[in-house]
Amino acid sequence: MTTASIVTRSLTKSYGGLTALDSFDLEVDRGSIFGLLGPNGAGKTTLIRILTTLMRPSSGEAFIEGLDSRSEGRDIRCAIGVVSQENSLDRYLTARENLELHARLHNMEKRLYKRRIDELLELMGLAGRQKDFPDTFSGGMQRRLVIARALVHQPRVLFLDEPTTGLDPQSRRAVWEYVRSLAGSMTIFLTTHYLEEAEQLCDRIAIMDHGRLIAIGSTQELKDRLSGATVYEIEFAGQGADHYAALLGSMPCVMDIKQVENKIAITLECWECLSEIVTALNGASVRRISLQERTLEDVFISLTGQKVRE
Amino acid sequence: MLRGSLAIWQRDMLILRRSIISELVAVVAYPLTIYLAFGVGMQSYIGLVDGAPYSLFIAPGLITMTAVSAAYNESVWSLWFHRRVQFTIESYRVTPISVSEIVIAKIFTGFTHGIIKGCAVGLVIYAITPFRFPLEHLLHYLLFLIPGSALFSCAGIISGTVMDKPETIGKVEAVLVMPLIFMSGLFFPLSSYPPSLISWVRALPTTALFEGARLALVAGDMLLPAVLQVALSAMGAFVAAVFIFRYKMSE
Repeated sequence: MTTASIVTRSLTKSYGGLTALDSFDLEVDRGSIFGLLGPNGAGKTTLIRILTTLMRPSSGEAFIEGLDSRSEGRDIRCAIGVVSQENSLDRYLTARENLELHARLHNMEKRLYKRRIDELLELMGLAGRQKDFPDTFSGGMQRRLVIARALVHQPRVLFLDEPTTGLDPQSRRAVWEYVRSLAGSMTIFLTTHYLEEAEQLCDRIAIMDHGRLIAIGSTQELKDRLSGATVYEIEFAGQGADHYAALLGSMPCVMDIKQVENKIAITLECWECLSEIVTALNGASVRRISLQERTLEDVFISLTGQKVRE
Repeated sequence: MLRGSLAIWQRDMLILRRSIISELVAVVAYPLTIYLAFGVGMQSYIGLVDGAPYSLFIAPGLITMTAVSAAYNESVWSLWFHRRVQFTIESYRVTPISVSEIVIAKIFTGFTHGIIKGCAVGLVIYAITPFRFPLEHLLHYLLFLIPGSALFSCAGIISGTVMDKPETIGKVEAVLVMPLIFMSGLFFPLSSYPPSLISWVRALPTTALFEGARLALVAGDMLLPAVLQVALSAMGAFVAAVFIFRYKMSE
């Protein structure tokens, strides 16, 4: 039995002359939390719509839990839970009724879904508000209710399409906690604009742009893909920053230099160059030299040439 | 197969039950105002139409109009709202039910609204006006009202599926739906049309519906070709609504 929960092979989707998804190949391990990053228009939503059977690909194949998206859509929809970008809660039904309707659409027995809904409302901290309408909920509570709805039928794969967009930091962290608590019991496929979210939650991350997969791996693996260049920040205790900025800027091992008041950030070809810098700084009044950690944002920018929200 | 349809239809009926009083007050007010203004206020000026007092002439049409308008409005606005505003249709689509089950549920919801609201207006007109009909005529009348409500519910589904902007829905209602209803012999006999137009007007399913329904309720006449025309139109509209909705959802 394969360990891949989600598999795509040469998945392509074209709208007229526009190719939204271009020969996209992907494998997501069963039970993992997988993050998909990409700038707006990269093709994330198209991919998630195909994987959740809302859209048919122009060509290629997609399998969820071994089920073919072209011929076994109904079985796939039994196996997946979806938290879409939009708030699709039914505002005319109470929180509990929203979950009950979803359970009925999944053909669950009343006896089973009553207990399951009680559990989920408790887990999501909504038991006390189950008879209230979603419009009276905060954004974070509504999001938790949408997640609860997606979990009613105990899916094997959970799709979260930008689950925390628009939430305040506290609510966002609460959603992260719930997502983390699900890890291992199901495969979670997450798209997000928040790189911190991907870094915090995901076992593996894929970056896509222009409909293509351009990088995949763990956060560390992706950071390691960056060139060996390292960035150091030198903070001077007194005067001298201007002088040393000019001096360091003339050194061949310094690829880039930026000065802000008494601080200089230098990009070196490799960490071994640091000894040359320390030698050059001999006699300078240096308060601190610190290594700037590479972030997922650096990886993203280096691969796509733009920030994640652009 | 229709398990999903039943769940969605029951959801819609729950919402209707919760707001039934305000819904009925709103839906009864309009035809009742028309009845009082035209049927009572203008009756003495108009006199008899096709041998009947004007208030009796327009009463069946007002009941039918309420039913089909309610069916159309519920379908078009509900589908548009659930598709474009609340995104509930999308949340249904990621469950194991089929797209056809969703659209069938919505057609039945519109149809149910039409029947309930038409009956409510009929009861109110019956209760507070001198309009009377033999109860045995009711069965004949329902043979028009049921496919008529289904026809308009399907038309509403088609509009709510293909139109993304609410203002477009409003324009179509003003330019197409209401004229079709008003020009079908609701307020005046078809004999008022120029002879060259009558055959065209009679070809419309709305004319068969309003003319046939009035004759069924008032005189107990059973115009079989008219019933068939309305029923066949409803069936055609049903197939078209399901097909168009499925096509739109596959885009």
